[in-house]
Amino acid sequence: MVSEDVLRTHLQELRRGTVVVASLVALRRPDYGYALLQRLTDHGFPVDANTLYPLLRRLEDQGLLTSEWNTEESRPRKFYRTSDEGESMLSRLLADLAAVQTSLTGLIQGVDR
Amino acid sequence: MNTLTDRYLAATLRSVPTQRRDEIATELRASIEDMIEGHTDDGADPAAAERAVLTELGNPDVLAARYADRRLQLIGPTYYLVWLRLLKLLLSFIPALVGTIVAIVEAVEGKGFGAIGPGVVVALHVTVHIAFWLTLTFVIIERSQPTMDLPEWTVDQLPDAPVRRGIPLADTIASVIMLLLTIAYLPLQHYHSWVDGTDGENIPLLDPALWSFWLPALIVVLIASVIFELVKYRIGRWTWQLFGLKALLSLAFGLPLVWLALTDRLLNPALAERLGWLAEADNRDALGLAIALGTVAVVIWDLIDTARKTRQQTTA
Repeated sequence: MVSEDVLRTHLQELRRGTVVVASLVALRRPDYGYALLQRLTDHGFPVDANTLYPLLRRLEDQGLLTSEWNTEESRPRKFYRTSDEGESMLSRLLADLAAVQTSLTGLIQGVDR
Repeated sequence: MNTLTDRYLAATLRSVPTQRRDEIATELRASIEDMIEGHTDDGADPAAAERAVLTELGNPDVLAARYADRRLQLIGPTYYLVWLRLLKLLLSFIPALVGTIVAIVEAVEGKGFGAIGPGVVVALHVTVHIAFWLTLTFVIIERSQPTMDLPEWTVDQLPDAPVRRGIPLADTIASVIMLLLTIAYLPLQHYHSWVDGTDGENIPLLDPALWSFWLPALIVVLIASVIFELVKYRIGRWTWQLFGLKALLSLAFGLPLVWLALTDRLLNPALAERLGWLAEADNRDALGLAIALGTVAVVIWDLIDTARKTRQQTTA
């Protein structure tokens, strides 16, 4: 019986990189922090607020996201959008993710149980 | 206004770089309000919702560190091993060296055994200083950009695999202690043998005449044996050369002892005056023979045992 802690750690490791990919995909449609958090959660990418908010800023610093302040609504919100650079980076990441899935499938089929 | 949110923002922004503080503040406040709204929309009490949201965001220092991309560790994995190796290297000899020097200087100035105290204190001070300054240096390196280029690890750095020790440390220590005790006993019995003469003066067990040559010679052999034990430990296993040396040392100690015992020159003649049993020549001869046979038995048994070990460890 695998302990819950060990399982949680491995799941965390597995999920870590996918938050970036999911955010870059989701932000093809511009959105602000909290709304993005909701969308990611609804689509099966639960992510902590204290991870996502700093992550968005970091991706912006790296030029993968652009941002724009929207002051028309009740409170000022910073809308992020995947930049062209982010888009090309994303295609590389998605290709790699697909490659991992392919390799894994091949491995699973090649191993007798 | 000093709500929990205000306090949380203040605590977070305290350690965020100044040039982006206002922007992060505005965005984070909006995000927090969005999150609180999300909770109250589900029917939660606003105050409870605020608490829940801030609890979810967690320790503001952690959040700030994530915004600033700051490391939450004193020395990270990049430098930890280098730090550890340097620390061990420096602590392995500098405190002891400095402490010894201080103790010697104090002793030369005439403090005698009182010199040990200052030596120990200085060694402790040096230890603390080395640990502190080395760690501080690495903490700064850890936080400096760009990362320092460390020499790449290569296979050539691999240390020799530890040889299976044929000479356990405990055996070496026991042997050295036995030898030192024997060395110390020779002069001790001269001044304090627990056998008193008629006037209450001390009667040495061994003939004081032996001090003119034989006892100093035996002490030299014993000191050579101590050095031999240390060399043997350094080499780590028995070899036939070591066996030869060991045999020489055993004979150098055993033969004079046997000869002195058989010729009745070992024990102090003054003892016979105190212990009547020794006054008779037959008894003295018997005792001398017993000592001689005992010595021969110990030496032979030791050499056989050593030869056995040597053969095992040279053929293995």
